[in-house]
Order: sequence, then C-alpha cells, then structure tokens
Amino acid sequence: MKRPVFFAFALAATCALIPTAVVGPSLAATTKGPAAGKTVKVGVIADVTGSAAVYGVQQKDAYELANDDLKSGLLDAGGANLSFDVEDAASDGNQVANLFQKFTTDGTALILGPTLSGEARKGDPIAVAAKTAVVGTSTTADGITSLGPCVFRVSLSEAQVVPATVAHTKAVWKYKTAAIIYGDDNAFTKTDGDIFKTQLEKAGVSIVDTETFHVGDKDFAASLTKIKAAKPDVIVLGALAEEAEKIIQQASTLGIKTHMMGGNGLNSTKIYDYAGPAAAGVVVGAAWSINGNYTGNKSFVERFKKRYGVEPDQFGAQAYAAAQLVAQLVKEGKATKDEMCPALRELRVAQTVLGPIAFDPGRDVSAAPVILQIEKGGFAYFH
Amino acid sequence: MVGQQLVNGLFLGAVYALFAIGYTLVFGVLDILNLAHAAIFMLAAFATWSLLGAGLPFWLAAPIAIAGAGVLGIVLDRIAFAPLRRRAAPNLIPLISSIGMAIIFGAIARGIYGPDERQFALAFLQTPPLHAGPLTFTIVQLVILGSAIAFMLGLAWVMRATALGRAIRAVAEDRVAAALLGIDLERTIGATFFIASALGGLAGILTALQYNSVQIDMGGQIELKGLAVIVLGGMGSITGAVIGGFVIGMVETLAVAFGLSEWRDAISYGVMFLILIVRPTGLFGKRSLRTA
Repeated sequence: MKRPVFFAFALAATCALIPTAVVGPSLAATTKGPAAGKTVKVGVIADVTGSAAVYGVQQKDAYELANDDLKSGLLDAGGANLSFDVEDAASDGNQVANLFQKFTTDGTALILGPTLSGEARKGDPIAVAAKTAVVGTSTTADGITSLGPCVFRVSLSEAQVVPATVAHTKAVWKYKTAAIIYGDDNAFTKTDGDIFKTQLEKAGVSIVDTETFHVGDKDFAASLTKIKAAKPDVIVLGALAEEAEKIIQQASTLGIKTHMMGGNGLNSTKIYDYAGPAAAGVVVGAAWSINGNYTGNKSFVERFKKRYGVEPDQFGAQAYAAAQLVAQLVKEGKATKDEMCPALRELRVAQTVLGPIAFDPGRDVSAAPVILQIEKGGFAYFH
Repeated sequence: MVGQQLVNGLFLGAVYALFAIGYTLVFGVLDILNLAHAAIFMLAAFATWSLLGAGLPFWLAAPIAIAGAGVLGIVLDRIAFAPLRRRAAPNLIPLISSIGMAIIFGAIARGIYGPDERQFALAFLQTPPLHAGPLTFTIVQLVILGSAIAFMLGLAWVMRATALGRAIRAVAEDRVAAALLGIDLERTIGATFFIASALGGLAGILTALQYNSVQIDMGGQIELKGLAVIVLGGMGSITGAVIGGFVIGMVETLAVAFGLSEWRDAISYGVMFLILIVRPTGLFGKRSLRTA
C-alpha cells in the first residue's frame, strides 16, 4: 500500500547533481544569491496514495513541476541547488509520523505538508521537538499553527474564508434560513461545518436543519430529503470535493433548487466535472482562483495542464505557492534548518500564484479569500 | 417526506443486498468469510469502465466484466482457498488469506488506475429522474432494485431446482458425504465462487452506476455493511442477505430521517445486535457454527 515515490527520489537526486547553469536555456534569469552553490533539501509529506490521494497527487505534481522549474530557471533560488523531496504518507497517520522522523534527522531544511489537518496534529509536534519549521499547504482546520512556534501555513483557514463567504452571499442572496450538511469524522469538514454555523448565526440566519455524514459516504438521499422538507433558503456544504460533488448531484436528482455554498473543500474542478449542470450556481469560498492573475499563475496552470493532462486545483496551487515562497527564502540566502523559522516569521511578502502572501503573528497566512461561483463548467468570481 | 425516505431506504438496501448475496453464498458453502469479495466488486466496476473506454457498448461491457469477476472468483479460490482446504487449515487462515488477496487486487487496481475517481460517460445516466406522486427516483435505482430481487429469485431457483444447486447444498451440508455420493467437490466449490463473484461484480457495476463513481476504495465502504447484513440475515442464508440488506438500508435511512444522522452507523449496528439477542442465528439462519 505504501508506495515510495521512487520517481520523486530520482528527480530530487538529479536536481541535486546537475548544476542549474548547465540545464538548457533558462526562461528566466537565474541570479547568484548568497546561497549560490549550496544544497537545500526541502522535505514534502503528501498523501500520494490512500484516501486523501486526490489532494496529495496534486501536491506531488506541483512540487515535481517546481523541481523542473528550478532546473529551467523559471523558479529562481539564487543559484542554490534547491530541491523538493516528495514522500508518500499514504493517508496513514503512522506513516506521517515516520516521515516527520526522517525529515527531522536527515539534514532537511524545512518540511512542507502534510496533506490533512489530522495528520498535522500527529506529525507537526515531531518537527516542533526537533526545531524544524513546517509549512502546511492544505491544512485548514483550527489550531494547526498553535502546535508550535515554527508551524506555519500558506493555506487560508476556514476561519478566514467562511466569514467572507457568508457576508458576500448573504448580501446577494438575502437568505434568512440555512441547512448545513457536513462530514463529522474529518478535521477539515467538521471545522467547516462548525464555522459556517457560527458565522451564519452571527449574521442572524437561523439554521433549520443540520445533517452529518462520514467521509467516503456515497448516498446522501436520506439527509437531502430531510433538508428539502425543512425548506432552507441556502444549503451549506462542509465537505471535500468527493462528497460535495455527490451531494450536489443527488440534490439535483431530488429536485432541490436551493442556493448552495461551501468552503475550500469545494474549490476543485472535480465538482463541475462530476456534477455537471447540477453544480451551476454553487458558491465556493476559497484561497485561490484558477483564473487569477497573480505571479506566475497563468503559466503555472498552463504548464500543469500540459504536463499532467488535468487542471491544477487549489491543493496543487497552494503547494506551488509554497515552492515559490521557499525559492524566495533560499534566494535571500536562507539555506539551513536554523535559518528557516526566523526567515518565515520575518517574511514581509512573497509573490505567489495565490497572490502576495505573508504570515500574521499567529503564523497563519495573510491573504484575501476569493469568492467563486460555478458557471458553465468553470469557476468565475461571484458577484 | 416519509414516503421518499422509505424509497431512499429501499434503494440503499438493494445495493447492500446485492453485495451481500455473494458474500453469504461462499460462507454458506465453505463456512469461511471471503474478504476479497469487496475487491472483486471494485475490479468489476473498473473493468466495465475500461471496456466502455475501449469503445464497447454497455450491454456488452457489463456482461464481460461480470463474467470476468466470476472467473476471478475461481482464480481466487484456486490461489487463496483451495491449497488451505487441502491441508484442512482452521477457518481463520483462509480469512487472512482472503484479506491478502484483497490487498493484492487493490494494489493492482491502484497501479493501473491511480487514486482518482472515474465516471461513466453514459447517456442513460443523464436521463432526468422519474416522479411518482411525491416520490423521486432514477432509472438506475429501479434497475438495482429489480436486479436484487431478480437475482435473489434466480439464485433461489438455481439452488432448489438444478443439479448444480443440489450439489452446492449437499457440499454445504456435509462435504465428506457429498464427495462419497459422487459430487465433484472442487468443481462445485469453483462454481460457487464463480456465481458469488459474478454477483459481487454485478453489485459493483450497479453501485458504480448509481453514484456514477468508480473508486479504488469503493469496496471497503460496503464491506463492513455487508458483514452486518449477512450476520443480521443469518450467515449463509440468501434470503437473509436480501432481507438483511433491506433492513440495514431502511434503518440507516430512517435514522437520518428522524434527525440522528450522526448516530446512523451506530444505530444500524445496534439494530443488528438487538436482532442477534432475540435470534442468535440471525433472521433466517438455521444453524449455529458446527461444533464438531
């Protein structure tokens, strides 16, 4: 079940061996910074297999693209031999802990990941004890950055995304009642459901029905029938893409035409690929837009599509943003484990595919959420 | 709303029932749990997806995948069960052996298809839902319900009225006596695995159609429910598997309907325990585990 990522290993090893100067014509000028010639290894922990693989594979793909971009000069690390070493956590908490042990003892300068918030709760304390900085790229549950003084994340938490989503949709849709359906056995979806509930109540919306499901469920007919009978003005989904797409599809089958909205978990092309016309109109509060004009985003989306045959989703984009952030730090001369945590704390701004990002005093990312709406098989800004 | 919830429960139960029929058939004959049943369920769905991708029409792709699942069942028996049977291994050993095969099948599927969910691009899945008064359902749901009932009746007929059925029942009753009476044990067991796995494959394809979703872990989610179904229905009883499937499907749906969605699974297993307290052999189970 646990498949080591030999390809990533080989790629990382190749990156370390080949000086950037001898690899092809550079598309962007590689500069000589204070860390020129130094080798900087960044450990990536991602669920490439197992139940969270739909997110982890995007992350692995983004880092492999970043490794290529470092070689070609599209990503500038100031002449340092920077590489991202992607290891598969196989959606298994014990494997996550093992990989944290490995990366905290093998000269790794910084750890990126893991994929899920629950995994971060298990693995991050190991990095904290070893004084290795961790940057989460997809951990959005409450309290992750409180795990230690060097735990950061570039992913906007639900606590940052949901208030904007509620405010924006309420202004446009003018709803008074809502029903919530969320997964109660996953740190992300549970947090999502709780925060939506709090924010809706704060906005004076009454919750007429709350339904729960388990991650991996496929049949939502019973819950949706109950929601339909409660006649809410809006339905809130605290879900990841795989469940959300089925909820949207099955709601449509049951004749439910109510407005729907959700958080980061719904920011995936899978939603409209799967649910088709049923997904039209669904609003998604998110950290990234595939149509965004930020640094390198258009090029990232195009090259990702060309290389892997699928569009990147938010998980891929956030991983690539972390790679851009790390490249910037290395370019500034930060190359060792001891230099990374203070450098992240003092970071003023990093230009990424998510837009300009920095960290607040609580080590959460400061960035503006985007409110998107699914239209004709794509995401558009919600107005 | 209650009417729609009963319909929801009926359709969910049909999926459980179809899955559990094959599960219970193997148990009835061999007294072992074949935990690779869920892997075959998943592989048949992927095989159908691949055959459709290769340009075959659905009416051809599905039967090929179902027959393939049946053949895979025979292969499974030859590799995981037959050698242990010859050595008269205790019942726990083939159980572990079947888990091993499930893991191998899963690894093969993951190697070929990767972790992503696949969907069928079939026109009939896009047909609008049907309405009967306040009730809403899809054609695929009707097909699943029809299949569960048809295959239960068909299997009951095979077991009662054909030579193969009589042989299977004889082997289930007493393997040694059946062999003394001239029944070819290995062929009968092979046929049992073929039928059980083909039904598992059919269940996999229909489940994938119902949710338009083919996934590596689709079997794991139904496997535990399947166990609850056959225990509740009575281990080895085909009627029990079908009724048990509908009971679990209905209990789950009604738990949600009564506002207890977070207790859904606990309630369905609670009902299973209650039934077992009243009837330790399950609803239709005739015998307890053999003691000698």
